[in-house]
Amino acid sequence: MKKDAAMALACLALCLAAPFVGEPLSGENAAFILWQLRLPRVLMGLIAGGALSLVGGTYQTIFANPLASESTVGTLAGATLGAVIALVFGLGSGIAGVPTVALFAFCGALAVTLLLTAIASSGRASLHSVLLAGIAISLMASALSTGLQYTADLNSMFTAARWSLGHLQQMGYGGIGMVLAFVLPACALLLWNTRALETLAGGEERAHSQGVDVATLRATCLGAGALAVAACVAVCGPIAFVGLIVPHLARLLVGASRRRLLPWSLVMGGTFLVACDALARAAWPGRELPVGVVTAALGAPALVWLIARRSP
Amino acid sequence: MLELDRVSVRVRGVPLLRDVSLKLAPGDFVALLGPNGAGKTTLIRTALGLLPAGEGSVRLGGQDVRRMSGRERAAQAAWLPQHHRIHEEISALDLAAAARFRFDETRQASLDAARAALARAGATEFAARLVARLSGGEQQRVAFGCLLAQQAPLLLLDEPANHLDPAQQVSLYRLIGDCWREGLGVLCITHDVNLLAHAARDRESSVRILGVQCGSLAFESRLDAPDLGQRLSELFGLRLGEARLEGRRVFLPAEVAP
Repeated sequence: MKKDAAMALACLALCLAAPFVGEPLSGENAAFILWQLRLPRVLMGLIAGGALSLVGGTYQTIFANPLASESTVGTLAGATLGAVIALVFGLGSGIAGVPTVALFAFCGALAVTLLLTAIASSGRASLHSVLLAGIAISLMASALSTGLQYTADLNSMFTAARWSLGHLQQMGYGGIGMVLAFVLPACALLLWNTRALETLAGGEERAHSQGVDVATLRATCLGAGALAVAACVAVCGPIAFVGLIVPHLARLLVGASRRRLLPWSLVMGGTFLVACDALARAAWPGRELPVGVVTAALGAPALVWLIARRSP
Repeated sequence: MLELDRVSVRVRGVPLLRDVSLKLAPGDFVALLGPNGAGKTTLIRTALGLLPAGEGSVRLGGQDVRRMSGRERAAQAAWLPQHHRIHEEISALDLAAAARFRFDETRQASLDAARAALARAGATEFAARLVARLSGGEQQRVAFGCLLAQQAPLLLLDEPANHLDPAQQVSLYRLIGDCWREGLGVLCITHDVNLLAHAARDRESSVRILGVQCGSLAFESRLDAPDLGQRLSELFGLRLGEARLEGRRVFLPAEVAP
């Protein structure tokens, strides 16, 4: 209980401090920068990091594989392909206030994940095959993106390459509202299923005999995960590593019981992305690193260190 | 109540079960014996709805098992899979609480029932420990605790004493016998007919023995049947001799390989 409170406080403190990291807030624009630029960005980081990590932890459970995440099931590559199509073909600026790039990224992510959900729930493929199919689809989507970029002009190629690094765009509060409309119900659905996921973690057939409708649970989680991740990457680009690494960090801190692991993945993932974004602002004065670079550069060594410390 | 009526199962064209009929009600004790690959595990997996029956019907509590929801199935029968190792870093107590998925109850109620079930299985002392770090025998006790936590009227056990030392084997079969005496139905796959005596004790005549061979039921007998040794010898293709040990009948291979 004490440890939980300490972890929650640490997360809260990091998130509260994050808007003040970076160029010092002074002068007449200070209030505008804080309330209209930094705060929406922190909120977006909380939402995206939390959703990506919760979905990552859920995928690791339903695939019974510690390497599963939204990158391995092709969601990120699908989003990138969608965005690259929109950028390379210069498909207008937006529909109903939603940028075309975000719209296409959303559709790409959703299409790939739903394709995989269909394969998974057909009941004909084993879990390992579904994951392999995800990796294959992922590679195919990446190849298509690269091919498209190769044919494009320099400007759209540069924009596409930038986009695919992952970033916390300034979309303002309106953008956050749009993302939340997908992320909130999807995450609520995932968290509502933690008890079934906890039982599933003891083995698929065993869970079946204990009353879990495994195929339904798997389709629900893949579908809800696809919605949440698609909404996040549409806005932030494919932020890699968060969904893979944060659930493992959380597991080392709170244990493998899904009732604790999944909610904590949500909280820690949000905090992690916010902290990484603050670092991305502060690390290189005058410039900004893409947050995807920071998550990987920070998350990977942190995980290795924790594993090395834990091993007997 | 589990009813298999003339069930046949094929997987990718290979027949695994042929025309098998079986009834198991609460209070019954049925032991499945047979050589490796005879279809004993397939029978249990079919009973749980994990494998579809190509022909015949599988009913749990009077309902077609393939049309039941997970929770409805779990309320009828609990399963102890064959040497199932858990690699998750999860405590024994959490694992037993997770086995109560079929109940719509508070976390506290789950934990209380899980503690009671682990105590019954003699696993209280490692309830707080991580399952992945337990020895094989301790894991099997926890697995049995999970089975009891599900509180189903039928127990389907797949070689429950595998990989246990002799003392653990006997104490596990005594526990199975206790559960049976309290009114649970037991379907138990085993290779060791002698262990059944520890569950049966003074009720040997009530223990039904089903011999399974090549996916079919080869014979039905009782644990106290005079010709059981003969039947088992034919089933395993190995001459089993009988000996008396402290008033109990035991079966041992009578042939020594040259």
